[in-house]
Amino acid sequence: MGYDKPIPEPNADTSPFWDGCRRHQLRFQRCSDCGHIRFPASFLCPGCHSFDSQWIESIGRGKIYSFAIYHVAFDQAFKDSLPYVTAIVELAEGPRLLTNIVGCRPSDVRCDMPVEVVWDDTAAKFALPKFRPLP
Amino acid sequence: MPHHLRDKYAIVGVGYTPQGKIDGRTALSFHLQACANAINDAGVKRKDIDGLIIYRSFTPLLGEPEVTPYLVAQHLGISPKILSQEANCARGHLLHAIAFLEAGLCNYVLISYGDNALSGGRRFLSEATHGESFKDNAAFGEFGLVSNYAMAARRAMFEFQTGPDIWKEIAVSQRKWANLNPRAVMYDRGLTYADYLKAKWVVEPFRTYDTCLISDGGRAFIVTSLERAKDLKQTPALIMGFGSYHPSIDIHQSDYMAGPTGALESGKQALQMADITIDDITACEIYDCFTYTVEITLQDYGFFGPGEGKDWFSDGRIAPGGDLPVNTSGGLLSEAYFMGLTPLTEAVMQIMGRCGERQLGPKTATKEPEIVLVSDNGGVFQSHATMILRRL
Repeated sequence: MGYDKPIPEPNADTSPFWDGCRRHQLRFQRCSDCGHIRFPASFLCPGCHSFDSQWIESIGRGKIYSFAIYHVAFDQAFKDSLPYVTAIVELAEGPRLLTNIVGCRPSDVRCDMPVEVVWDDTAAKFALPKFRPLP
Repeated sequence: MPHHLRDKYAIVGVGYTPQGKIDGRTALSFHLQACANAINDAGVKRKDIDGLIIYRSFTPLLGEPEVTPYLVAQHLGISPKILSQEANCARGHLLHAIAFLEAGLCNYVLISYGDNALSGGRRFLSEATHGESFKDNAAFGEFGLVSNYAMAARRAMFEFQTGPDIWKEIAVSQRKWANLNPRAVMYDRGLTYADYLKAKWVVEPFRTYDTCLISDGGRAFIVTSLERAKDLKQTPALIMGFGSYHPSIDIHQSDYMAGPTGALESGKQALQMADITIDDITACEIYDCFTYTVEITLQDYGFFGPGEGKDWFSDGRIAPGGDLPVNTSGGLLSEAYFMGLTPLTEAVMQIMGRCGERQLGPKTATKEPEIVLVSDNGGVFQSHATMILRRL
């Protein structure tokens, strides 16, 4: 059976992020003028309104800002994954992003827990950046 | 010197519809019924309605057209000077209405919401707006508002030790109010602490009773100047003060999950305009999409400090007979879900003294509803509005 979960839908702003993921690079934009690192991808720096930015690669480590544990499948494709954890991870570089916490029991997940990126390649054409607790 | 807008405008009529699970009805039909009933309730001439603002419409269900202000106006048989519709839950209806009135552009503004969400099977999975495409988040199994607010609540548990022990007080107290309100969807159903704690997790830390209802139905109200209100049918609910503040940051990047939310700044503005303190408030009608929303809103308004909710909510403070009644219709959790109009119209009806068995005052062993604080909230804490209403 093929992969039946939803897959990301890159647009003109977010394609570089998802392209990086395919190469297992977690990338964010850094403002060329004020140095602010932003996510989600955007045309403009929300700090100084500069249009110029470079893509930088994250070290892939951070901590869990918050999380939720799904006990109900809102999409049937996730039924066999229950219970699963969605989380906001705050990367060392500053940005926060939505992800999943894997590699531990949902009941062991805590706010502020240190985590590192682990790549989920099961989706055809996409790699999803997920996170697991640092040993 | 008092603020020039204090006590200048008033709410003069409320429109209800059948509510709960009402089969065979379009979303538009609920708007129309609520609007017609509000016009009749106020005693305003239909042709005098010169402003119409409707809440956002969601993706139409059951093959219906999208509900637009044009459609509502057309079917009401009115051609207003101002037509407006909120987008994506940025809650500013009352402020917009007052701005139109104050600018002399309108005399009577009608505000309405309606949906056939329950019979149409709406699940509120894609209504939240994020910085990412819907599928970018769905790829991680994130769907909808329950988990967005659950994440906020989880951070608050971490930062100031809130949790189900506090939220169960909110769910149970509001249910007690609903049990006094024959219109409430949960009128006939009690709720105990044990029921709350036995309920299944939906998205942990939220159980079934932490989440609001999904309802068929609608609600509408009319706002005008106090001067015009004096010629109408009802004793008006005076608008003492209002405020709004829209942090706008998506919950995925939010640094205010555990407060302060927009309620802090919005509440300050409203209290300042009303020229009162939080101690003058005799009841609250708080937007309660989830139990935690009630806690963080009251906390940010200054009723208690972070982590003090456990003591504050105990002993039935917000329930019938309590010191500070909150969500006296049962609210979005136990009456029906009509966005910010469930709390706002309840405040109006309490002030007008039209609430039957749940009427604040001697009937429910509570203070008279002299001054009622109302909140509206949109997105995932991205938008906040506060209104303070009082008796004439």
